[in-house]
Amino acid sequence: MNKLLIVGMLLFASLSSIGQKMYSISGTVIDKATGESLIGATVSVEGTHDGTVTNEYGFFSISLPAASYTINASYLGYARYSEKVLLDKDHKLKIMLAAEGNTLQEVLINDKAKNEAVTSAQMGRENLNVKQLASLPVLFGEKDVMKIVQLLPGVKGAGEGSTGFYVRGGGADQNLVLLDEAIVYNPSHLLSFFSVFNSDAIKSLTLYKGNEPAQYGGRLSSVMDVKMNDGNDQSYHASGGIGLIAARLNVEGPIVKSKGSFLVSARRTYADAFLGLSGDSTVRNNRLYFYDLNAKLNYKITDRDRIYLSGYYGKDILSFGDVLSIDWGNATATLRWNHIFNPKLFSNTSLIYSDYRYKVKVNTAGVNGNMLSSIKDWNFKQGFDYYLNTNNSWHFGFNAIHHSIAPGIISSSPAVSDTANSQTWENAVYISDSWKATKRLNIDIGVRLSAFLVLGGNSKFYTLDDNRQIVDTLQFPSGHVFKTYVNFEPRISASYQLGNSSSIKAAYARNAQYLHLYSNFITSNPIDKWVATNNIIEPTVADQISLGFFRNLKENTYESSVETYYKAMHNVADYKDNAQILNSNEPIEPQLLFGQGRAYGIEFSMKKNEGRLTGWLSYTLSRTELRINGVNDNKWYPATQDRTHDLSLVGMYKVSRKWTVSADFVYYTGNAATFPSGKYEIDNQAIPYYTGRNQYRRPAYHRLDVGATVKLKERKRFSPELSFSIYNAYGRQNPYVITFQTDPDDPTKTQALQTSLFRWVPSISYNFKF
Amino acid sequence: MKTSVWMLVFCVIAFYSCQKVIEVELNPSSPKYVITGNITDQPGPYEIKITSSINFDQDNNFPAVSGAKVYITDQNASSTDTLTEVAPGRYRTHVLKGVPRHTYKLLVILGEEMFSSVSTMPTPQALDSLYTKSASFGDGTDVVAIYNDPVGLGNFYRLELTIQDSLSQEIYLHNDKINNGSSVNHVLNNDIDVKTGDTITVKLQCIDADVYDFYYTLDQALKQNSAVISNPKTNILGGAMGYFCAQTIRTRSFVFR
Repeated sequence: MNKLLIVGMLLFASLSSIGQKMYSISGTVIDKATGESLIGATVSVEGTHDGTVTNEYGFFSISLPAASYTINASYLGYARYSEKVLLDKDHKLKIMLAAEGNTLQEVLINDKAKNEAVTSAQMGRENLNVKQLASLPVLFGEKDVMKIVQLLPGVKGAGEGSTGFYVRGGGADQNLVLLDEAIVYNPSHLLSFFSVFNSDAIKSLTLYKGNEPAQYGGRLSSVMDVKMNDGNDQSYHASGGIGLIAARLNVEGPIVKSKGSFLVSARRTYADAFLGLSGDSTVRNNRLYFYDLNAKLNYKITDRDRIYLSGYYGKDILSFGDVLSIDWGNATATLRWNHIFNPKLFSNTSLIYSDYRYKVKVNTAGVNGNMLSSIKDWNFKQGFDYYLNTNNSWHFGFNAIHHSIAPGIISSSPAVSDTANSQTWENAVYISDSWKATKRLNIDIGVRLSAFLVLGGNSKFYTLDDNRQIVDTLQFPSGHVFKTYVNFEPRISASYQLGNSSSIKAAYARNAQYLHLYSNFITSNPIDKWVATNNIIEPTVADQISLGFFRNLKENTYESSVETYYKAMHNVADYKDNAQILNSNEPIEPQLLFGQGRAYGIEFSMKKNEGRLTGWLSYTLSRTELRINGVNDNKWYPATQDRTHDLSLVGMYKVSRKWTVSADFVYYTGNAATFPSGKYEIDNQAIPYYTGRNQYRRPAYHRLDVGATVKLKERKRFSPELSFSIYNAYGRQNPYVITFQTDPDDPTKTQALQTSLFRWVPSISYNFKF
Repeated sequence: MKTSVWMLVFCVIAFYSCQKVIEVELNPSSPKYVITGNITDQPGPYEIKITSSINFDQDNNFPAVSGAKVYITDQNASSTDTLTEVAPGRYRTHVLKGVPRHTYKLLVILGEEMFSSVSTMPTPQALDSLYTKSASFGDGTDVVAIYNDPVGLGNFYRLELTIQDSLSQEIYLHNDKINNGSSVNHVLNNDIDVKTGDTITVKLQCIDADVYDFYYTLDQALKQNSAVISNPKTNILGGAMGYFCAQTIRTRSFVFR
């Protein structure tokens, strides 16, 4: 209640500044050449502290007293824009920024970056400029934003070559991955070695590390918000590439010049072509590939209305002759309508469909059949941005998602009954204010109220006894609300500027999560199981406080920051001994144990965003622990993803007009692991004996990747380039799996066997655009 | 099935993967008693073996545990057999005879400590026939065992495969949660080379639910297939590891041509 009072008081405080005759300057910031709207571009008023950043559709609005002003706009990698405005009525601006060219001269004369990182109240946020990072070396030469995210401070990769990641000690399922607002349930391809994001189609990626604005919710640890390109609305273009394992093609252009555009981007791997070379017929008959398709249309119906339709479809196929096959994939579709009610009120309405499914087919002497598993969402979102005055912009709206999870629809011989579907509603209302309290103090304050409704239908709900055995099973008619959970999620962050180039920031956020992923594997797997909250699996809730110091050096050439965080997590699950998480009729509830988690750490980051040499250094010192009833005598123990040290160093250097070289280096402490402390004999076999969970450490992981890109001779508008890279350049054997077994050469001994993947993986790819 | 998925993934990336034996600093562990033993519907005597666990880096010489008092009670016949230690750590019955549908209770007293376990011998099921087929994965030869599952839920099977003189280290299990009451074609994936003239022997054991759970979790633990790495679920109470199993055995063999 007290919290509500404070929010109310702040509201009045912000309203009281009205009184003078004010006009607004509003409009959009776009790329001059392509017409792409620019997200997060800075729009400022010269000689004042007033300014704003564009929203996710490139829209901005500033209210000022009548006078004459110079409006500046800037965006990293673009030349600064300036326009004089005589403000005697509401004014509309279409700001077109010119991208800096690829030649060195242009780089050197480019305008200096702004100090948005210092002034903004937001903390724990990372923006990736996808184009800027194109030259980084990557596994098999496939550019992948999710691999780059893992190099950021506070973010840890889930394992060798994996796209999965952990943010500030959270599990891999605690990241909300959005593609044009649609939830992507499995953002990985090919057993997680590649992400679903085709970098040709991606405009921007923003990662919030637990302090997300109130409009986001549903996951404990982070939001990874990925936006697709809108498509060039000025002229037709194509780009593409041919690499070692995949080929890509991207086509975009105007539907009506400056009014609407389209984009289609496709990708297909041909890694399985190598299987055909094998002499072994059982290998030759296997299939392993993926393809995906991104498409987007947008059209400005009027000056005030714009619609977007975007979609993604991807599929992975894995088969072993005709004995066993698995295919899986995501499909998402987003229909959005931007409407500008007046220069101060921007509205976006979204209808979103998202679907993840996989199908397993088995055909053996004993069993024959297939199983389909799916998770399907219908999501309606309404959001408003209200630019009240120079010092306050409000964001409010609501969101309703219907989740339908079918763990297994089985048709087989012998016959097996289907698993129970679950139907749930995840609803939320939110309001937040970005408030410039004083010249130096910026505050983002908001609250999200989420409500999760567990519906009846053919879902089974269990009652468990103290030994977690099922003692009762309940079922309710469909549409009956069996259980409702409500969570009040306050979010506040503030920055206080110390001088021109440094600031301190503090933040608190609460996040609630209602869907959880349970997995039989340490790495992400297509058949991992999403389970909705019910009477036994309660929502997980996290409270995170963080404190940071931000400083820009040499006129914003370098951005540096130190952030510390402490996160307390409630109702976290771990598995009971011998738990098997399979999509069968076996209820999952008896296999889970619940308790608490805590994560804390300190993140150091130093970035250089301009000049010939760009890149960053990030280092995280952290700890993540769990205390679960029934594990390790109810004592705190390290979570699997606990890593003490985590270091990433990323550099790109423009050698000449033609050549760019790049490198990245990562080092981290090995994951916590369960190793045997003894062994014993069963039926003449030595069996490992475990005395506790996660009481050991795997060996440290480190790796260096190097890459180079050369621009080939341009002909007319056709510009080709070649990229070379070596992943794991010094061939470190990093642990992927460690098993304990009897020595095959000496049965009186046992040994630890480490399997490593990917040493010295070279790649070459050819990219073009015209 | 999951293992085979990973097998394929490993095949595909085999080009890039490599294995090596690594040194891992492992903590010592205090020794624990390990009790194993079977009662069967075949003529006795039956044996209970008691050993103790050792540190992982020691050689595989598992110390025998002598001086235990070991009793097995046929709870249906209300008769108790007191076992005699015939060799260090090996305790043998005298008069006990395994009878299907009887429940047996094992009691082991070691100094101050007491361990017990209960196992029920199921109704025997016939092993109808055997044949071989080429393996679904790889170039090996699999053996298929055919047997009939009776009407009524709750039948559990464990099979042992011997090629000539080598016993397969695979753990073959089946239960009737799916396919209850019908004929079972159980494919025994086999990684032992089969040559013409080899004798292939399959032993079909009917076991109870707790023993099935023990072998199932043992298999998961050895293959690291479960969500967490853990010790198998023993049916011995009192803090010892291992199993106590009352089982029926039906055997069939043929010569591979």
